[in-house]
Amino acid sequence: MESATRFKWKYVLLPLLIVGVAVVLGVWKPYALIQGLQRGGLYALIALPMALILGIVGIINLAHGEFMMLGAYFAYWLSVHTGIDPLVAMIPAFLAFFIIGALTYLVTIKPVLKAPELNQLLLTFGLAMVLTEFANLMWTSQSRKLPLRYVYSSASIGSLTFGTFGFTYLLGAVVVLIALLWFLRYTRTGQAALAVGQNPRGAKLVGIDVNRTYLLIFSLSIAMVAAIGGLFLTGHSIFPGVGAPYTMKSFCLIAMAGVGNLPGILWMGLGLGTAEAFVSSFQGYGGWSDVVFFALLIAVIMAKSYRRHTA
Amino acid sequence: MKNWRYIVYGIIIALAVSFPFYTGLYLRQVAITILIYMGLALSWDMLLRSGQLSFGTAGFFGLGAYTAVLLQLGTGAHPIIGIILGGAVAFIVALGLGFAVLRLRGMYFAIVTLALASIFMLIVKNIPSLTGGPAGRMLPSVVFGGDASKMYWLALAVVLITIAASEAFQRTRIYFALTSIRDNELVAKSSGVDVFRYLVFAFSVTAALQGIIGGTYAQIYGFVSPEETFNVNFLLLPLAMALLGGIYSTAGPIVGALVLGALGEYLKLQIPYGHRLVYGVIIIVVMLFMSRGIVGTIRALTRRGQDRKAVP
Repeated sequence: MESATRFKWKYVLLPLLIVGVAVVLGVWKPYALIQGLQRGGLYALIALPMALILGIVGIINLAHGEFMMLGAYFAYWLSVHTGIDPLVAMIPAFLAFFIIGALTYLVTIKPVLKAPELNQLLLTFGLAMVLTEFANLMWTSQSRKLPLRYVYSSASIGSLTFGTFGFTYLLGAVVVLIALLWFLRYTRTGQAALAVGQNPRGAKLVGIDVNRTYLLIFSLSIAMVAAIGGLFLTGHSIFPGVGAPYTMKSFCLIAMAGVGNLPGILWMGLGLGTAEAFVSSFQGYGGWSDVVFFALLIAVIMAKSYRRHTA
Repeated sequence: MKNWRYIVYGIIIALAVSFPFYTGLYLRQVAITILIYMGLALSWDMLLRSGQLSFGTAGFFGLGAYTAVLLQLGTGAHPIIGIILGGAVAFIVALGLGFAVLRLRGMYFAIVTLALASIFMLIVKNIPSLTGGPAGRMLPSVVFGGDASKMYWLALAVVLITIAASEAFQRTRIYFALTSIRDNELVAKSSGVDVFRYLVFAFSVTAALQGIIGGTYAQIYGFVSPEETFNVNFLLLPLAMALLGGIYSTAGPIVGALVLGALGEYLKLQIPYGHRLVYGVIIIVVMLFMSRGIVGTIRALTRRGQDRKAVP
């Protein structure tokens, strides 16, 4: 434990640095900053439920983005058949995928909880493939989009005109983050879940039902990410492979923030989104923004591993 | 008993080599596909024996494929030289990257290898002047002028090299090093195993094999494109095959590739879209109920039978 009294420079310098970069970027390339914040909000929003599973159940769910994709399809069909708005469809998606998540946990995840990490990784990888191909089989690889008016709402600051709808993602990420923190700190179930995440045996000894906690957290996380799929649908076209990159990005954010650090995911998401938007803003280099992402992912994981080795 | 075993191996190899003499064009092409996946499955398993799960097979496969095609287009070198250089490039890239990424373990290593494969693909996609960009490049003609029998022998030769490498991994001190790293790295290290060196070695050798297989694939089909060459198929199918057959052995991935390859060809005809669903299901089912795979289960059963015999 570090002493609490020691003044930590990083808490002063880091925000200053972030604000500085944001100001420079805002003046030089305002669109990149705005787009980056919107994009980063979406990344963080999707990553948060995955962090919940990884932190408490201890499983890296490689099918995370695929559940979002299925949730988006769910909202899409509900919206097409009944005419309700996909944002409203998030509620039935949440409920339906809570049950689907519970079933997935009971059938596939629970048997491998004690298995080596390798088996868990392979299992969720297989799950991701099954979900993608299921969508492919059911709805073909054609991409689908809902015609929504409000998505194109925009605002102007001075001579700057930009879409405002993307900030919904950022707002969603903040809301989900606060809700999760509140749940984990101030509700009995949440505190129990946190205890299980820290030490499953210890939690069991003090009378917490570990299995039920795992079931609840896994189902909750799947339900959340499926509901997020409904929100995702408003601004994006969906196709069976749409979720896979978000699994990677979510994992990347979690690795960057460190397992168990939920607020860090939001900051890392914003940073990553801005970096990507910045690279895409150069004409002709748009294709390299994903390279930036992967390079960043590897660099951060490597840096963390070195710190672990030297510590 | 031992001689009997070698006779069986000899018969199998003879059957495999003479395969084109008694089969039609269609079967030969199916066999080529199966051989390609078999090599990938085996090379993936070889690294897995050290406990490191790599999702990067498609990346090194694509690297080898692009090297082979670009070399031939650029210099007009013989296809075989292109294939060998494909392996060499994959080897060198893996060696360089291995020093960095092999400090990672578990999910971090797995995700980083997946990311590396994506980086290779994106880089290739973003240099159109060299690689043809998203459209890819095409060879003026495929290897051996499209003679399916010779192409089959080429693929078979590559797989035999992979099998030989896999057996070398199983029968030399490499086996003990990799197995001890998998079981308990700390113990391996304290027993004097140079963990890092063995991991880098296994990573680059398997990458080289994947590069050679990729080069062979590109020469046989005569084209490369980012979407096709770095396709998730070259990750998903080998994984499913090795897992179904049984990991940590040479026989397992071979058996798995034969079974799943034949089944996959049938499924492709039955459900053209979404036949990959089956591979995903197989991975899940094997992980849940039969983590030893076909070969491992049979071995366990026969061993149990022998044990029973031993008890009077």
